[in-house]
Amino acid sequence: MKCKRCQIPAVVALPSHHTAFCKDCFLVFARRLVERAIKEHSMFTFDDRILVAISGGKDSLALSWQLKDLGYNIEGLHIDLGIPESSPIARAYAERFCAVSEIPLHVIETAKLGLAMCDVKRRVKRPICSVCGQTKRYLFNKFAQENGFTVLATGHNLDDETSRLFANVMRWDVEFLSDQGPVMHAEKGFAKKVKPLFRLTEFETANLCFLAGIDYGYAPCPYSSKASFPIYKNLLADLEDIQPGRKIRFYDGFLKDGRQGFAPRGETSVDIQPCTTCGYPTSAGECGFCRLTALMNDEG
Amino acid sequence: MITVRLEPENRELTIDRAATVTQLLHKLGRKPGRALVIRDGGLLTPDLNLKYGDHVIVRDVGSKG
Repeated sequence: MKCKRCQIPAVVALPSHHTAFCKDCFLVFARRLVERAIKEHSMFTFDDRILVAISGGKDSLALSWQLKDLGYNIEGLHIDLGIPESSPIARAYAERFCAVSEIPLHVIETAKLGLAMCDVKRRVKRPICSVCGQTKRYLFNKFAQENGFTVLATGHNLDDETSRLFANVMRWDVEFLSDQGPVMHAEKGFAKKVKPLFRLTEFETANLCFLAGIDYGYAPCPYSSKASFPIYKNLLADLEDIQPGRKIRFYDGFLKDGRQGFAPRGETSVDIQPCTTCGYPTSAGECGFCRLTALMNDEG
Repeated sequence: MITVRLEPENRELTIDRAATVTQLLHKLGRKPGRALVIRDGGLLTPDLNLKYGDHVIVRDVGSKG
């Protein structure tokens, strides 16, 4: 198999794009996909201060590496979730990468807030992935807002986005379908959020990390076995094997023709107000983070 | 015989015979596009031949949380 651009032996085969690339041409290919995503969706400019959510996994490190390489003004935020089996490992990958790449890294330890996820899991009846996700979204948003960042960037890839879209379609979740996309604009106390890797599959981000020499953590979270998104990811991966390119066409088609059909209903169905305790935007009086904090700090 | 290290499990096993990367992945119950296959520090495409005595890493790319 030869590189489509320069005809030397390929190292990455990409059936979805009917192509294969050598190392150098793959890195050009990946960079162009990120540049296209940023430009097409007006994600940010070189004047923005960008906060990157860095977990220590392949996607967040690939994103940080690519944005740094492109010359954007980025800093990282890692949230240490307080899971003994995985958090110290993930944090070490994030810290090593940022030190080598000269990316300023901020760290928030949820244990210092009384929210170590190992304790939360024992106390809360809701699925832990839901609680953990809510906590991370709150902390990333709050940190971005309080520290003058104009954009919050996350490493969500095409598989993340299509599996979420698939799940939302299967539930006909109009509210989520109305605003799912690679950009969520700043409004009502929410920072602007962007997903510059949405055109890359997780196979492509893994190849990007390998070829760019990025050492990433690939040990799964010990609590993730009950997460539902991998089910949708696997179904879509099977479909992609049969119909290469299906995932990106599904997502691009939704952004171009599908999403607008849900917007009128999604916009009017939720009333967002500041949290009565912390001011964070919420639809529930007191936000989920404050209710969780109160629960975890309630000795009784 | 081909020696395989599966990641992220970090489990090592041997496969009696696999002529190509595609065949190896098939024997491991995996598909191209869902795992990196690494030999001597380099990536292998699915069409490449394997030989007796090869040591390869098969690294699943699917994030699980």
